[in-house]
Amino acid sequence: MSWRGLLRRRYWDKERVEEMEAHLAHEIGENVGRGMSEEEARRRAYVKFGSPQKMRERIWQMNSLGWLESVLRDVRHAGRALRRNPGYAVLAVATLGLGIGANTAIFSVINGVLLRPLPYADQDRIVHVDQVENRTGAEGIGLSVQEYFDYRGQASSFEQMSEYHSMMFTLLGTKNPERVVTGVVSGNFFDMLGVQPALGRLFVAADEAKDAPPVLVLTYAYWMKEFGGDRNIVGRVFHMNDRSHTVVGVLPPLPDYPDANEVYMPVSSCPFRMDPKMIADRDMRMVAGFARLKPGVTLEQAHTELNAIRGRMAAAYPKSYAGWTGYAATVTPVKAELTHAARPTFLALLAASGLVLLLACANLANLALSRQVRRSREVAIRLATGASAWRIVRQLTTEAVMVALAGACAGLAIAGVSTKLLVAYAARMTPLAQGIRLDGWVVLFGIGSSVVAGVLFAALPGLLASRTRLTALNEAGERAAGSEGGTRVRSVLVAAQVAFSFVLLVAAGLMLRSLSNLLSVDPGFKLSHVLSMQLNLNWTKYKGEDALRNFYHQLLSRTQAMPGVQEASISWKAPLDPSGPMSGHVLVDGQVASVSTPGMVVNYEISSPDYFRLLGIPVMAGRTFTDSDTLKSQAVAVVNESVARHFWPRQSPIGHRLRAVNGDQWFTVVGVVGNVHEYGLDRAPDELVYVPLEQSMITNGTLMVRTRGNPLSMSSQIEAIVHQIDPEQPVTQVRTLDQMRSEQLGTPRVTATLLGLFAAVALFITIVGISGTLALSVARRSKEIGIRMALGATKARILRDVLHQGMRPVFAGMALGVAGALLATRGMAQMIFGLKPNDPPTFAEIGLVFLVAALVSCLGAARRATNVDPIVTLRTE
Amino acid sequence: MAKRDQSNNDMLKGTLDMMVLRTLILGDAHGHTIAKAIERGSDDLLEVEEGSLYPALHRLEERGWVSSYWGVSDANRKARFYRLTPAGKKQLRSEVGRWRQMAKAIGLVMGDVLKEGGEL
Repeated sequence: MSWRGLLRRRYWDKERVEEMEAHLAHEIGENVGRGMSEEEARRRAYVKFGSPQKMRERIWQMNSLGWLESVLRDVRHAGRALRRNPGYAVLAVATLGLGIGANTAIFSVINGVLLRPLPYADQDRIVHVDQVENRTGAEGIGLSVQEYFDYRGQASSFEQMSEYHSMMFTLLGTKNPERVVTGVVSGNFFDMLGVQPALGRLFVAADEAKDAPPVLVLTYAYWMKEFGGDRNIVGRVFHMNDRSHTVVGVLPPLPDYPDANEVYMPVSSCPFRMDPKMIADRDMRMVAGFARLKPGVTLEQAHTELNAIRGRMAAAYPKSYAGWTGYAATVTPVKAELTHAARPTFLALLAASGLVLLLACANLANLALSRQVRRSREVAIRLATGASAWRIVRQLTTEAVMVALAGACAGLAIAGVSTKLLVAYAARMTPLAQGIRLDGWVVLFGIGSSVVAGVLFAALPGLLASRTRLTALNEAGERAAGSEGGTRVRSVLVAAQVAFSFVLLVAAGLMLRSLSNLLSVDPGFKLSHVLSMQLNLNWTKYKGEDALRNFYHQLLSRTQAMPGVQEASISWKAPLDPSGPMSGHVLVDGQVASVSTPGMVVNYEISSPDYFRLLGIPVMAGRTFTDSDTLKSQAVAVVNESVARHFWPRQSPIGHRLRAVNGDQWFTVVGVVGNVHEYGLDRAPDELVYVPLEQSMITNGTLMVRTRGNPLSMSSQIEAIVHQIDPEQPVTQVRTLDQMRSEQLGTPRVTATLLGLFAAVALFITIVGISGTLALSVARRSKEIGIRMALGATKARILRDVLHQGMRPVFAGMALGVAGALLATRGMAQMIFGLKPNDPPTFAEIGLVFLVAALVSCLGAARRATNVDPIVTLRTE
Repeated sequence: MAKRDQSNNDMLKGTLDMMVLRTLILGDAHGHTIAKAIERGSDDLLEVEEGSLYPALHRLEERGWVSSYWGVSDANRKARFYRLTPAGKKQLRSEVGRWRQMAKAIGLVMGDVLKEGGEL
């Protein structure tokens, strides 16, 4: 037995036959030599030789693999059996394919995002160090350079601690001047992460020295995109911030974390970070801390130690740590930070796809049961004619495995297509989305779960059904096989299907309702016909405020002069910008911050005068900004209604003053405007304080333009104006507010679509299950129905009986489903907007939909029952 | 081996293999010659059934103990010739050693009875 022999057995057969013929020829020749007649010689030779056929068979068998032959025989047999019954094969493969496809696709997401380790050494030990204000609810405050020095110098929980921040700088030396997202890190940052360079070297401690030559490290993606993976990149020199930077290395592919940086530089190269004022000021929190825990140190230990250090800082610098804020340090594992936004959604989807698979399995079991009932005669005959039980088991299993493998192929195809779509979807929630792909594990998962599902749910029920054995050979037996036991099992399966799909439908219903709530949120401003684009001015070029003012004035006046433009404005951000707010505490005139009056956290917006008119934000009292609000005039602010109501309930805020808790500039309120959902439709309207652009100049501005026609068609003209003023000025993030809104709604929309899709598949499978089961039972009971009709039962009575029989498992399943849904949807609380997970209208609607669907699916079988002709049935009896 | 006894089959199979290998030490030969050589060598006591010979040759070739080629026989007919490979020579040596041991063991147990003219 060998593979070589197996592959060459035809060749050997031919050879040996020739050889045997040669042998016979010799024997005959010898016999003739002894004086026999030709005929006698031939006869003797053949008698002596025996049967050449038998010999061929023996050699043929020597060249075969016994087990393989028998497996192939089983496969051929199973293939024939399935071909004889293509309906079963197609339904089973399709059901399994849908279930496996949904599961494998979602598993590829889970595998890529949650399971696959980060490309950092000992990922569990890498943490993000941040600060919060427990009393005001402010999170992610960051660290000031002094705080970072304190934590780094005093904490013994960390093996290494690094600082990090990200900025936009202009990179000169490529084809066009480019704004690049630059990660600014301490020399040990990559060593702390445990990352090895793809090319050249990464930073070392010496790069951080004040007089060290400026160096750059490129990210893999930027290297590929901008330089096509050119290996000669190391040593190239680029100009940034008026200094020459040499590229020393390239990073391997890493997730876009902490930010989607394109290049990295050491802190010594960042002019903002190296500003002596920045270094000295304990209240300017511009950096983030990252650290590697020492082996064996727990998160709690690190947390306790950092807060002890923070306590010492508060004692030493009471001015920077007002007691009322509840300042605290936090330590979060990087892995948790990368996945926390995506985890609940993905797990909910995994649960949903798991339910779809369970449903598919129930359907498979149901199909297998009815098929086996129909085949019980065949199995009984085979058993009776000497087939061993083991043979039958093997054959049923082979059939199931074949169905499962076909289902896995269909499922993997479905998963392959949907994984590509899921990457874009997951990218909104986690930087790890690029790791989502069909790798070996995913394929293994798909095939493995398919085979397990196939064997458990297609073969096992068949085996149980085939226990009927010889009784199936007589008429009564056939009826017995289909009635009592089998029907009860099938009813339980149907009830389970109903329960599972009810849970899914409720989940999908909740998501759809939440989506429609989101869609109907009035943002408080008008979205249509507004184009926004970001202008990050090169700060080395626009050093003085006058240069900035001059740029913005020219831009606004030229844009407004364009035909088709209604208004133009400059602001810090466009509404619904995903990058989030700039926030801080404010106090009103006369207040002193304390535990009882902790100020109020507000979000700031900086805007030019036309901003409010452009966005259609209503003015409720006073005025908005005008051209006469300048640096020389009084500092003014506009607040929105929630700020006004918080600080000045039942009185007009106009003329009152407010200031930032840690600032000394007072702003006089000159107007009140309507509330808007500035940073997200799913958030409560934000507390907003607006200040005029003229009085707080910014280098990173957003130009918004309201047009008469399609705003996107004007984008190139507007960009041309920017380039007329400054040919080196890049324009980024060109999009309409409508686009930003649909981007915000993208995640809930896809989640709702996916859940809806799963629910639709579930409902479909369940309807097939309900109607199939009832149809089979009616077919088996047609004799009984005929007899009852002959004895005088009315059609209405029969109809009621059949419907009763069909709907009973549905009601049972729905009762279970309601309980299951109440439990299962609890985890969805943070995924849905504007309703609770136990939303009664959703439950009622889904229940109604389900009842109607179930009734409709029972009707076919019920009609067939009432059309039974008693004469026909009695005649065949 | 004229009569095939199932229980002894394995031992006989091994014996046939050994005898075939032994025959090939004298030079390359084809199936017909090998059968004749064994029969003559045993004073016609053993009759090689061709039904076993060819599967045996196939097995020996499969294991790499003999190699084969088509040639022309003394009778001027086409025939497939077998040649002993170095591995086959080694196999023959170990087979002979085993056989010798077994013969010795059987001889020790049976004692004088086995000798020509020995009485029970």
